[in-house]
Amino acid sequence: MKKYIQIMPHLLLVALLCLGLLPGHAIAESSMNIATTPATINMGARYNGAKIEIKGSAPAGSAVIVRFVGEPSELHLRQKGKVFGLLWMNVGTIKLENVPKVCIIDTSVPFEKIGEAGAPYSLAGTVKEVEIEKDADTHGIDIANELLLLKKHGKLYSESEQGVIMGPEKDGLTDFSTQLNVPSSLAPGKYLIEAVAVKDGKVIADATDSITAEMVGFPAWLSHLAYQKSLLYGIMATVIALISGLVIGLVFGSKGGAH
Amino acid sequence: MTDLINLYLPIAGNSVNCLAILGLGGAVGLLSGIFGVGGGFLMTPLLIMMGIPPTVAAASDSNQIVGASTSGTLAHFRLGNVDFKMGLILLVGGIIGGNIGVHIIKVLRALGNADFLISITYVLMLGFVGGYMFLESLQAMRKAKAPVQEDTAPKKPSAYAKMIASLPLQMEFTRSGIRLSVFMPLVLGILVGVLAAIMGVGGGFIMVPIMVYLLRMPMHVVVGTSLFQILFTCVNVTIMQATQNHTVDFVLALLLLIGSSIGAQVGTKVGKKLGGEQLKILLASLVLFVMFKMLYDLLVRPDVLLAYMGGH
Repeated sequence: MKKYIQIMPHLLLVALLCLGLLPGHAIAESSMNIATTPATINMGARYNGAKIEIKGSAPAGSAVIVRFVGEPSELHLRQKGKVFGLLWMNVGTIKLENVPKVCIIDTSVPFEKIGEAGAPYSLAGTVKEVEIEKDADTHGIDIANELLLLKKHGKLYSESEQGVIMGPEKDGLTDFSTQLNVPSSLAPGKYLIEAVAVKDGKVIADATDSITAEMVGFPAWLSHLAYQKSLLYGIMATVIALISGLVIGLVFGSKGGAH
Repeated sequence: MTDLINLYLPIAGNSVNCLAILGLGGAVGLLSGIFGVGGGFLMTPLLIMMGIPPTVAAASDSNQIVGASTSGTLAHFRLGNVDFKMGLILLVGGIIGGNIGVHIIKVLRALGNADFLISITYVLMLGFVGGYMFLESLQAMRKAKAPVQEDTAPKKPSAYAKMIASLPLQMEFTRSGIRLSVFMPLVLGILVGVLAAIMGVGGGFIMVPIMVYLLRMPMHVVVGTSLFQILFTCVNVTIMQATQNHTVDFVLALLLLIGSSIGAQVGTKVGKKLGGEQLKILLASLVLFVMFKMLYDLLVRPDVLLAYMGGH
């Protein structure tokens, strides 16, 4: 049941995309396919972000947009503003909805050449879809723009252009490929890969795939302990620090570290 | 090569460069070794700058301090520099004050004034402590340079000394070589506990000047006793944070501990070469530097006007 609840948002996201309810609007034909390598991002002790390769084919002559998108969720943020016209500090909190945790975008041609049809798939278009809680005091802040800056700062949102390489045309289709760099701050979970083909100012095809990021090895064990057996973890962390401190004290025979 | 020195921290949810973390621990440990204070209020902001979430940075730093203060307390205990009686009374006061501070923050958060109070308390406390120490040490250094005049007349006790001597429940603190009312360390411990809870720090940099100037303890006993008290405070914080917020990353804490232990060895040697007043003036400069940095952050528009919950 718990697993079912966890995958529900992903299923809903895929269903909405299939129905054309998310950015993309009406899709005339769907002669597009994609494949992602690897199928799983393993987050072991040496994980430091990952490169994922996306290959596929799109209708000939179209521009291709590829996105790696996290599940949209609710986000609570602090707002900074001026107090007494002098001091910058936290002035309140704001609740945002429909915020993708991650959004990494690449295209075959610049967005300005793709035109209006591609705009909803850009980062600017993505943050426009974010919903601000009703009656919220925004303190005069351009929330969408500041959210974009915050996410870009954490490398969770990025947009590059012309990284999607288009191959030669064959039977009305063109092969394409790209590599997306996934940040090390990615949270474990299921992510959506979507590719959209735009031609003559219209979205003419799309395709989706999914990829799972999961902790393996030592990080998986440690995370399980920290969240499922938190008291044991806390005591273990304290005891290890105490023993390390004693050993360091005995080895060096003088002062320890910072306090 | 970079893959060899990177390590993924599952609780922090990010990958870190091990050498950078060891270096950070080493730098802060160096300052700690020199001054006997200076961990928490420097380490946490620097970890945040390295991409560690604020809540994980603060909690893991507390975990690191458990190890650092254990070895420090052990070393000072061997030298006879820990006043356990004083440390325990300050600890009791600190726990009471910590609880009062948490409630004050809860009430102020409900009223919407908490962040303003936290920022202003930080700047005022750092400014006051740093400024006072700086001026006092400067005066002492000038006096030391001036020709020595034999003062044959017995010194009159100051009004402050008379006041603390008149308080009830006087107690002998043999290790510190002082006689004080039990209320003094208890009340001051409560005060530090309140401030530490409001500011979200261990309180070492407030406790040390209080021990020196208000409790009038000798400097060598101050550092050992402060470490003893901090050890218990941080054990409590580590277990609370691990069980309630799941924010303790002990791998990060261990890396910081190794770095800070090595840094502290170098710092201790540097500290021995400096005189007491030089140490105080350097510490005062460090505290004032942090205060000016905070003041700058308060006065200059931040790059991003939104922030994740958890940080100041």
